[in-house]
Amino acid sequence: MSLSKAKKKRVSKKLKVSWRKHVKINDVEEFLEDQRLEERLGPPLSTISNDELFKVDTKPSPELLLSAKERRKLKANKPLKCFSALQPSSKVPDPITKRNRVRSKEERKNDLVKKKELVNRMKGILKHKEIQANANRKLDELRRQSKPKRGEFKTDLWEDGDKAFPIQQDEWASINTKKHNLRGVGVPVKSVRKSVMEKKSPLPAVPPPHPGMSYNPSFQDHQDLLRVVAEKEIKLIKENEHLTRCTSGMFQKVTPEYRDQTWLVEMSEGLPSKDGSSVVENEASDDEYKAVNAPVKNAKKTLKQRRKQKEQTELERQRKLLKLEKKKITDIHKLNLLNKKIEQIEKKQGILREKRLKKAQEKKNQTKVLSANKFEDPDLEFNMGQEIAGNLKDLKVEGNLLLDRFKSMQKRNIIAPTKRRVRKKAKVKKYTKPGHKDEDWKKTVAR
Amino acid sequence: MVSKRKKKFTTGEGAQFMTRKAALKKLQLSLNDFRKLCILKGIYPREPRNRKRAQKGKTGIKTLYHVKDIQFLLHEPIIWKLRDYKIFNKKVGRARAVRDFEKLNRYLNNHPTLKLDHIVKERYPTFIDALRDLDDCLTLCFLFSTFPSLAHVPRDQSALCRRLTLEFLHAVIEAKALRKVFISIKGYYFQAEIKGQTITWIVPHHFSFTPHSKAEVDFKIMSTFVEFYTIMLGFVNFRIYHSLNLFYPPKLSSAIQADAEKALVDEDIFVSERVAALNFPLTKTSNEVVEDDLEIDSFQTGEEDADKIEEAKKEAERIRTLKTLFKGLKFFLNREVPREPLVFIIRCFGGEVSWNKTLFVGSTFDENDESITHQIVDRPSLEKQYISRYYIQPQWVFDSVNARQLLPVNKYFMGEILPPHLSPFIDKERDQQYIPPEEKALYDPTLLEEQHKKDEKMGEQGESEEEESASDKDEEVNDEEDSENEGSDDKEETEENLSGKKPKLSVSVGEVYKEVPWEKNRQEKQEYRLREKMVKNKHKKLYKSMMAGRKERAKEIWLLRKKRRLHDEQDKKPKKGQRKTKNGSATPTKKTKKQKSQ
Repeated sequence: MSLSKAKKKRVSKKLKVSWRKHVKINDVEEFLEDQRLEERLGPPLSTISNDELFKVDTKPSPELLLSAKERRKLKANKPLKCFSALQPSSKVPDPITKRNRVRSKEERKNDLVKKKELVNRMKGILKHKEIQANANRKLDELRRQSKPKRGEFKTDLWEDGDKAFPIQQDEWASINTKKHNLRGVGVPVKSVRKSVMEKKSPLPAVPPPHPGMSYNPSFQDHQDLLRVVAEKEIKLIKENEHLTRCTSGMFQKVTPEYRDQTWLVEMSEGLPSKDGSSVVENEASDDEYKAVNAPVKNAKKTLKQRRKQKEQTELERQRKLLKLEKKKITDIHKLNLLNKKIEQIEKKQGILREKRLKKAQEKKNQTKVLSANKFEDPDLEFNMGQEIAGNLKDLKVEGNLLLDRFKSMQKRNIIAPTKRRVRKKAKVKKYTKPGHKDEDWKKTVAR
Repeated sequence: MVSKRKKKFTTGEGAQFMTRKAALKKLQLSLNDFRKLCILKGIYPREPRNRKRAQKGKTGIKTLYHVKDIQFLLHEPIIWKLRDYKIFNKKVGRARAVRDFEKLNRYLNNHPTLKLDHIVKERYPTFIDALRDLDDCLTLCFLFSTFPSLAHVPRDQSALCRRLTLEFLHAVIEAKALRKVFISIKGYYFQAEIKGQTITWIVPHHFSFTPHSKAEVDFKIMSTFVEFYTIMLGFVNFRIYHSLNLFYPPKLSSAIQADAEKALVDEDIFVSERVAALNFPLTKTSNEVVEDDLEIDSFQTGEEDADKIEEAKKEAERIRTLKTLFKGLKFFLNREVPREPLVFIIRCFGGEVSWNKTLFVGSTFDENDESITHQIVDRPSLEKQYISRYYIQPQWVFDSVNARQLLPVNKYFMGEILPPHLSPFIDKERDQQYIPPEEKALYDPTLLEEQHKKDEKMGEQGESEEEESASDKDEEVNDEEDSENEGSDDKEETEENLSGKKPKLSVSVGEVYKEVPWEKNRQEKQEYRLREKMVKNKHKKLYKSMMAGRKERAKEIWLLRKKRRLHDEQDKKPKKGQRKTKNGSATPTKKTKKQKSQ
């Protein structure tokens, strides 16, 4: 013992509290803790031999041999993982050897009752609950079977004669009576409106093809089709030319340098320049108010003037009357002329009416305006001369049938022409917060 | 008291129309559901007479619907189903999001289904109505049957389309209803006649599927159309099958089902594959013969009607022969030939077909069968050829059907450059157009023969020039003469014969009632003029313009013919000069050449 070591302070351990405070039993407690741990988990790993710890795997695990389905089944039978916390993990046996347990419902049953149930089941007598469950199951099965299957056609829709409307008049009851009686029975009593039934366009669904569209057309037909296609194309080109001429072609073009040069001059037009020449100065600097119009005077007419005015109006009126009378007489003489005029007007109206009718007739065959988008005729299918193979094997297929159908329906007023709306994604501006710039976090967060 | 002021647009056109948005609000449906409902029920937007009034004073163009149409939709029970769908989608979406797979499964197994039977019946109250609208239906179904599974299209739709279209083809085969066929660059055009209705449809070419850009076609809309049309086609098939005494769904006769093959595969798949082959007759429910072509009754009516009836009878006769066009012929299809359309056409007209066993199921005989009459090939040459059969290109089948008779095969031999494939869908107006004799010959094979004869004659004429001029004159006369004139000529001849005979019995010579030959014509013309007078005032102008147009066209044709005749004559003249200078040795070589080209 060296002197340098501090001298142990003596402490009184008279009281229980002071004893507990000052006595050192760490080593004992540690030892006991170890022992308890060993009791729970088994001996420490260092004491176990390698043979006990490890084993050489020579056979595949039986689970791997099973199919995925079987493995899933096995897994489903296992208790849930969440209950593993409730399972005892210690190797220490239960100190109470005869622990009380709540018996299950089955165990609690009387033997006599059990026997009775068994007999009943043998006889086929079921409980109310079971009977109901069975009935429900049967119902469900029925419902499932009666569900319409896609692509299954078992009835003739037009079996009951070719009648437009199921309710027909007969000598016994009027249609109204029948309708009244059939309400709520499931028979449709409403007839479809005529305007719904009729076709929306006189155009055929599948128009006859142009003979030039044959895979091996005759020269004449091919030329005909070529002409049609070319005419359409020429029209388009002409339209395009017109548009460019009327828009960008109308303006003269300058080089960017020239534009930059003139820009400042143009922009500073009308602004006060340095020499002050362009500023318009106001001349009226006098304080006096001056009206633009002459002042109004309330000048009264004299009596004489009023009398004269009256006389004049009276004269005027008489003159007009006279004129009307005269016109009546002359109109009788003009009767022929008037008749001619009426005839002329009627003739003109007749022509106009005819024109209108003709236009309406023409309009019937045209596509109607059903939406804000205009219907555009699709391009004709066409093979160029060198593309025609002349045999089926090397045929070059042209045109898209689906598009053709779609356009045809638009043409026949069945679908309103639409444009696909493209939703633009909103541009989100991205920026990093000042505190999160690259490397910044090292200084601020991880300091 | 002042009466209440009338509000604007509460009556008239303003009250008749409804914008799409208002309709959505009234029906409480989303736009997609509304579109679907409209397509299924056949309600389409309308164009008003006065747009501004119909839009309640608003300018611009809006999609408008009739208020009554929307009220009609309001009564439709499938609206509830559409709302069920909405709820179903919400439930499924939630279950999927919270990963509640048990519920998800339950929901998916109990999904709501649209039943469209009553709508089909409502839209097509009679079977004929349904047939009239079959063009669209068939074209779309045939198109969708070639599609792979796509977004917005139910997974089983293309398979269903394929099944239904094949069933329809079988029905056409059994009814022998096909009339016209045409190969265009777009697809195959077919025209059939069922219950007096002509039905035209397009079948896409093989491997024609091209991915479509979204901007072009709205797939959801087209798929809804197809959904309705599949149901319609199903019921139409059912009806046609039963009217033909066939089982529906189709059954194959038991003789075909070889047990060895059958054991290998599922029964349903086995049958559906054979049905797809189109090569086996279907089982009939009874052996009664369905007689659908009606005898045309002959009533005592006017002469024009008589002509029409005569025409109709001729047409019926032609169709009867067309139905058995390929009867007794045996075809074999090579690998490179499109199988389905050809099998369909050949079987429609009573032919027998087969193909290589490895190409598709359902082949009935092999290539080495000696009884095969035609082998259809689409390649320039073949190594092993049989003498007993013709090797022809597929166009022969199509052209024969359109010509309604078996065409000479020599132009369609393997490796030959084919004659043009002409459209059978050209309109009747064409008889008022000038058609050059060469083109006429293409449509009418009898004329072709004449043309050949004419050509041959021209060859022979090197030796005898006098004959040539005479025959030429004859031809000219033939060209211009009408059939009526010929008839009258015959009559005159018979009269001469009668007058030449001497009476055997001694009977006093009576006055022979001499029919004035032009009297009948005169009478007819007079009657015709009277009938012309009877044309209603309403149609008088139309009639006049029609007749004037006809006259004008006839004149044009006459003029062109005359030009042609003069041109031909001009052509011949220098030839004569040449022949005179040269020897007759040049002509025979020319003749042989022509024969080769034939």
